Amino acid sequence: MITVNPKANEVAAPLDLNNLTPEQTALEIENLNLFYGEKQALNNISMKIPKGQVTAFIGPSGCGKSTLLRCINRMNDLVDTCSIQGDINLNGENIYGKHVDVAALRRKVGMVFQRPNPFPKSIYENVVYGLRITGEKNRRVLDEAVERSLKAAALWEEVKDRLHDSALGLSGGQQQRLVIARAIAIEPEVLLLDEPTSALDPISTLTIEELINDLKKQFTVVIVTHNMQQAARVSDQTAFMYMGDLIEYSDTNTLFTTPAKKKTEDYITGRYG
Amino acid sequence: MDKLNVGRHISGQFNEDLERVINHVMAMGGLVEKQLKDSISAMIEGDEELAKEVLKNDYQINDFEVSIDEECSRIIAKRQPAAGDLRLIMAIIKTITDLERIGDEAEKIAKVAEESFSKEQRDLLVNLENLGRRVLVMLQSTLDAFTRMDFDAAIKVHKKDDKIDREYEGLMRQLMTYMMEDPRAIPQVMSVIWSARALERIGDRCQNICEYIIYFVKGKVVRHTTPEDMKKL
Repeated sequence: MITVNPKANEVAAPLDLNNLTPEQTALEIENLNLFYGEKQALNNISMKIPKGQVTAFIGPSGCGKSTLLRCINRMNDLVDTCSIQGDINLNGENIYGKHVDVAALRRKVGMVFQRPNPFPKSIYENVVYGLRITGEKNRRVLDEAVERSLKAAALWEEVKDRLHDSALGLSGGQQQRLVIARAIAIEPEVLLLDEPTSALDPISTLTIEELINDLKKQFTVVIVTHNMQQAARVSDQTAFMYMGDLIEYSDTNTLFTTPAKKKTEDYITGRYG
Repeated sequence: MDKLNVGRHISGQFNEDLERVINHVMAMGGLVEKQLKDSISAMIEGDEELAKEVLKNDYQINDFEVSIDEECSRIIAKRQPAAGDLRLIMAIIKTITDLERIGDEAEKIAKVAEESFSKEQRDLLVNLENLGRRVLVMLQSTLDAFTRMDFDAAIKVHKKDDKIDREYEGLMRQLMTYMMEDPRAIPQVMSVIWSARALERIGDRCQNICEYIIYFVKGKVVRHTTPEDMKKL
C-alpha cells in the first residue's frame, strides 16, 4: 500500500518580493553602498528579506555576497577602512542608527562561519556561552537551553552523554552543528550562515541542510554559499550578485529554471560571462 | 544551434556531452522523417518492398530513443543542469518520446501499405496523398524549428495542425460515403482510415514538439493552453 505524505502535494506559492508587507519582512536593505577605502564593494543594494524563510546569496568570489551578509550584523564595523551608506532595517529599525547597541544587535542577528569555531571549552559551556554573557546564572535555565539548542541543531542524540567533554573532540560536522546550537541558544531573530558547509563532507552537509530547513520555522535564515545546488536545495529566495551589484533576486524555483537575466543564466549554468 | 548556446560552458566536457546528445536527436529526427516519407510513398505507390524496409528499420528509432534517454539521465546525474540547460534536457527527453511515436505511426502506415489492394481500392489510397504530404512538411518544419530552437517558427508550425485536422475530417466524410456506397469495401476503407488516423496523430505529435521548443525558449509551459494565451508570450 502506498501512503502519500499530504505535505508532499503542496508547493508553496512564491512571495512577491517587491511587495512584502511589514509583517512579512525581516530585513529591509535600502540603497546600501559600501566602500573598502576608495574601492566600492557594494553598489546601491536594495532588497527585502522575508521572515521565517531561507534566503541565499550566490555569486562568484569577490562579488560582495559575504560583505553584504556581514553588513547585517555590522561585522564590517571591525574593518577600519570600511565605510557604509544606506540603511538596513531589522523589523523596521535601522541597525546603522546612531543609538544602536551593536552587542544587542548581534544577539538578535547570530552568525555562523565557514570553519567551525567552537571555543576550547566543554560542549555545554560552548552552548551557554552567550547566555552566561547576558548574566544568566540559573542552572535550570542553562540546562534547558543546552538541551533545546542541541536538539534544534540535531546534535543532542550524539552528545547528550558527554556534554562536559571538550568541544574540540567533535568531528567537523558535529562542531559546525555545535556552533549553530551556540548561535541559536540566545534565540536570535535572524541567523546568518557564511558558507556553513564548505569545510564539511557530503553527509554532514546534508545534515546541516536538513537542519536549515527546520530552523526556518523559528528564525529567518540568510545563507551565503558557493554551492549552487545547495542554494537550490535549501533556500526559498535566491539573490545573485555580481561585482557588487544585485543582479537578480527572486524565488529559488524561478531563478534556477527560468532566470530573467542573462548574467544569472550564465553563472548558474557554468558559462563564461 | 547557436541559439542553444551549448558551446560556452566553462567545462568543455559538458559542452561535448550536450553537443553529442543534440546531434543524436537531429539524427533521430532525420531517421523518423525518412521513415515517414518512405511509408507514405510505399502506401501511395503500393511499393511492398519499401513498406517492408520501413518495418525493418523501426528498431533503429527505438534504439535512438533508449540511448538518448540514457545520455540525458547521465547528464542530469553528473552535471545537475540548471536554467536553459535544464530546459533543453527536459525538451529533449519529451521530444524523443514524440519522435519515437511518430516512428510507430509510420510503421502503422507501412503495415497498411503491405496489404494487397485491388485496382479501384488503390484509388482510395490516393486520397491520403494530400494529407500525407502536408504532415510530412509539418514534420520537416518542426525538426527545422527544433534544430534552430526557433520560437517564431514553432508558433507557426503549431498552428498548421488545424489545417491537418480539417483535412482529416474532410477525408473521413469522403471515406464514410465510400463505405455507404459499397459495404464490401469496408475492410479496405478501414485500413485507409487507420492510415489517415496515423497521419493525423503525427500532426498532434509535431504540435507537442513545438510546445517543447516554446518551453525551452520562453520557459513557459504552453501545453493545454489556448492559441490566444500562446500569442501573449
